[in-house]
Amino acid sequence: MSEMNHERFEDLKEAYVLGALPEEERLSFEDYLAAHPERQVEIDELGAVAGLLAFSPQEQQPSPELRSRVMEVAEPRRVGSRSTLARIGDFLSVRSLALGAAVLLVIGLLSWNLVLQGQADDLQGRVQHAQGQVQELQAQVEDARDKQQIQQSRTIELKGSWADQGATAEVVLIHKSQIILVARNLPAVPEDRTCQIWVISDDVPKPSGLFQPDGNMTATPITNSIANADVIAVTVEPAGGSEEPTRDPVLLATL
Amino acid sequence: MAHRGRQYLILADEDLISLVEAADADAFAALYDRHSRAAFSLAYRMMGDRQAAEDLAQDAFLKVWRNASSYRAERGSVRTWILSIVHNRGIDQLRSHASRRRTQDRIEASAPRSQPSEAFAETWRNSQRDQVREALNTLPPEQLKILELAYFSGYTHVEISELLRLPLGTVKGRMRLGLKKIRDFFESRDAAVPR
Repeated sequence: MSEMNHERFEDLKEAYVLGALPEEERLSFEDYLAAHPERQVEIDELGAVAGLLAFSPQEQQPSPELRSRVMEVAEPRRVGSRSTLARIGDFLSVRSLALGAAVLLVIGLLSWNLVLQGQADDLQGRVQHAQGQVQELQAQVEDARDKQQIQQSRTIELKGSWADQGATAEVVLIHKSQIILVARNLPAVPEDRTCQIWVISDDVPKPSGLFQPDGNMTATPITNSIANADVIAVTVEPAGGSEEPTRDPVLLATL
Repeated sequence: MAHRGRQYLILADEDLISLVEAADADAFAALYDRHSRAAFSLAYRMMGDRQAAEDLAQDAFLKVWRNASSYRAERGSVRTWILSIVHNRGIDQLRSHASRRRTQDRIEASAPRSQPSEAFAETWRNSQRDQVREALNTLPPEQLKILELAYFSGYTHVEISELLRLPLGTVKGRMRLGLKKIRDFFESRDAAVPR
């Protein structure tokens, strides 16, 4: 086998990231890489391209027994629930600044009049009507903050064709499983059409809310749990909504 | 307990990995629930048999459990890391089998296949997967075949050269062009290669 050098490295790097080098050649390649760490980034990038192949197989569902077998190994080392929760709390605390900032940004964008209201006691109302969605989202966020639960919030950005056109959309998950879709700059849809939210689990889409973009911003409660969901998506459907999607998604997030 | 489950639900993969490193079985279960299907799907594609695929997926997740500290966020996502473990161990197993099943009919099996159903749910469930499939669809069949023989079947470039009766330089060239075409697919859409 010829000695590893720059030219040979170039010649073999694709085979390396595909896992297609014989053992001896692979070790030689890795020795060269260790001696030239400046090339690691290039290999990482190429490896990311090769790694995409892992996402291409048709999805298969493993048996429930596999989960049991895997967890049997972990269970004996299970740590006490108290310390587990404490560690989660640590993580949430560490993340709280960033998450808090994100939620405050939502408040800033959405609540140009909320602070003026100063009626924290009234902030328990539920989001029920499209016209009141913005204010009531603020209420839930504020309420969560007051209860020092803001660190348990999470936002999920949606992507898709509308996002490519400049729209922004986030799912805001607030404590106690209150889930709201917050969107801005959505394009208008015809009067005989409406936007419909779908929560998809195991290939089954559940209708999870309707809203009508008005060119500004909208906040819509998601009516189904996303705890076991694979995807949250938005389609444009006939007015009144559909029992199942009839169009491609304009916004979606894979969970 | 349900409350605890929700707490894990909102944690990012990177946080779960840190908890797994501290032997948190619940965090490990959450990671398993998020990524077992993708891991098993890759394992099944490589091994071609449910039992062998489950053994491989189990093996990979046990490595995740025992070696969570070896995860490096700068090298890619947790999901990519888990799949790379499945892939590497899958290749090890394929190459170590005394009677390798990887015969000529597997070459046929690895030929480009028609894309799966356009059923709505399949389209939506994983947009990243769809993008990857779209990218792979742009490859000429001879390039795709060589990538699949290498990545999924564990053949070395020399073995592929022998199996397809192609010069080794041609095999390496098609690997190079195939990967470049996948990267170009994402760059042409101003999208980063998912990691």
